[in-house]
Amino acid sequence: MIQCEKVTKEYHKGDNVIRPLDGLDLEIPSGHFLALMGPSGSGKTTLLNLIAGIDSPSSGTLRVDGLDLSGLSRGKLAAWRSQTIGYIFQLYNLVPVLTAYENVELPLLLHSMSRKERHRRVAGALDLVDLADRHSHYPRQLSGGQEQRVAIARAIVADPKVVVADEPTGDLDRDSASAIMALLQQLNRVLKKTLIMVTHDPKTADYADQTLHLDKGKLMDGRAASSGSALDDEVTP
Amino acid sequence: MRLLPFEYAVRNLGRSTLRLVLSVLGSFLVVMLVIAAVAFVRGMEKSLIGSGSPDNVILLGAGSAESVERSELSPSVAGLVSASVPGIKTKLGLHYVSPEVHMSLVISARAGEDSTSSAVIRGVTPTAYLVHKQLRIVQGRAPLRGHDEVMVGQLAATRIGWQPEALEVGKTLWFDNRPWTIVGAFAASGTVMDAEIWCPLTDLQIAAKRDSLSCVILTLDGADFSDVDIFASTRLDLEIIAIREDQYYRQLVSFYRPIRLMVWVTASLIAMGGLFGGLNTLYAAFAARFREMGMLQSLGYSRAAVALSLMQESVLISLTGALLASAVALILLEGVAVKISMGAFGLVLDAPTLAIGLAAGLILGVVGAIPPTLNCLRQPIAEALKSA
Repeated sequence: MIQCEKVTKEYHKGDNVIRPLDGLDLEIPSGHFLALMGPSGSGKTTLLNLIAGIDSPSSGTLRVDGLDLSGLSRGKLAAWRSQTIGYIFQLYNLVPVLTAYENVELPLLLHSMSRKERHRRVAGALDLVDLADRHSHYPRQLSGGQEQRVAIARAIVADPKVVVADEPTGDLDRDSASAIMALLQQLNRVLKKTLIMVTHDPKTADYADQTLHLDKGKLMDGRAASSGSALDDEVTP
Repeated sequence: MRLLPFEYAVRNLGRSTLRLVLSVLGSFLVVMLVIAAVAFVRGMEKSLIGSGSPDNVILLGAGSAESVERSELSPSVAGLVSASVPGIKTKLGLHYVSPEVHMSLVISARAGEDSTSSAVIRGVTPTAYLVHKQLRIVQGRAPLRGHDEVMVGQLAATRIGWQPEALEVGKTLWFDNRPWTIVGAFAASGTVMDAEIWCPLTDLQIAAKRDSLSCVILTLDGADFSDVDIFASTRLDLEIIAIREDQYYRQLVSFYRPIRLMVWVTASLIAMGGLFGGLNTLYAAFAARFREMGMLQSLGYSRAAVALSLMQESVLISLTGALLASAVALILLEGVAVKISMGAFGLVLDAPTLAIGLAAGLILGVVGAIPPTLNCLRQPIAEALKSA
């Protein structure tokens, strides 16, 4: 369960105060697939970063499974991220000098784990994203869709409870985007990961259980996606 | 703290071959310069300090403590000190007392040649070979009195500015308008004698038209320095002073302090130039990876882990340059002789010199990486992830 209580985020730019999030209240149940939409500057990515523990609220409380993130030191927050969060980026952010296998292995190096166990998990994650045969390829040798699938494997390999995705299909063509969204939906439905995704694309948002709209740092409305979304047929849970 | 794999740092070096080559080259040049500077200073110090023996005492003309070449004393001093100071080392009844003349003379390779080459020429008696234990004849023999013969030190050619072939045994050199045959070569490694030309004392006195000595050097056995010092200070008629030989050369070391300082300042300024050049390169290299640094932190790597990885990259580059510089220095600088006013000396490329060079490379890597690393990691993760 992710709970945001009166979460505000402020930046000071000279004499001006910029408030991407303004007293936001939100609860996201475990295992939920939430899409966040809204115009640029509405606070979507800021909220995502707060939930992922890579940014801190200026005021308010943010709890993940009862843990108040604002009470954690920078080091503890980093350790918490490595255990709890998987992050999927719009531009994949794979390390160009590492192979697909090594990129996926990166989060596991933060855990006490034997090499054999790491290998088992990386192989499993690459298999899940259907890239087992590309394990020794470098990012430059992969297509955009394949790179994003490697990034998804990296996000889930440490078995985090929460996966956050910032415009995961924003840099992909329509077919690749559909494949990625199907994969994310599978993660949510089969692996029961809580998934929070920022998107500009309503079709992408349709894969989510629920879409929330943000504007000027506030939630505008809520819409529970029907469990029988038109795109569900494309997914094999 | 969980660290990023070392291999990550190694592979990052290959992101830009040009940048890698330029960075290694920068480190190479700085370390090469540091090694050359250290080798120069250590060579000079070693040569001067190694020239003096703690058992030897030099008697000089009063008022000439800073330069044996300017000193003049009576030829009778050698006999008087042998007779007056008990406890001077002897062998088969021969006292270890060496009367010597040290002169800088213009020499030439051929008769009538208009030469500007000057050499330090030392006129000695056979007792000089007893007093100066560092010297050994490596080719030919010692010059004989009355035959206009000389023998040359192994760095004499460097000191004079000639090719070594010009001072080979059997060749002739000219001074005092007459030829002198080179009959021997000697080595006195790590001492000023190595750059000198030696000839019999009386032959040099005749050539220089002087009967005074420059100094008398003696080796103590049972006596100690104070015995010689008392002799020198009580024989006011001789106008001499006594100074320990090692102390004399230590004074010369301090005389050359400005040269050492200039070498260090030059090396430091160029090293700083190299450091700032490296900083500039690393700033650009690391700044291009802001987003990647943000990603690694979002995975859970601490700032310290990311900083350490960046530091590893920088140190790998600088140490590669430092190792290359050490290897090239060993090939190019080993055995190189340097000429200075008092003689010549060989650059010292020993373990401490190379260790200082490697340490300079390490410092270059660490210090050069700190500002770019801090610049890279001062950004909040969220900001870094938005970087281009």
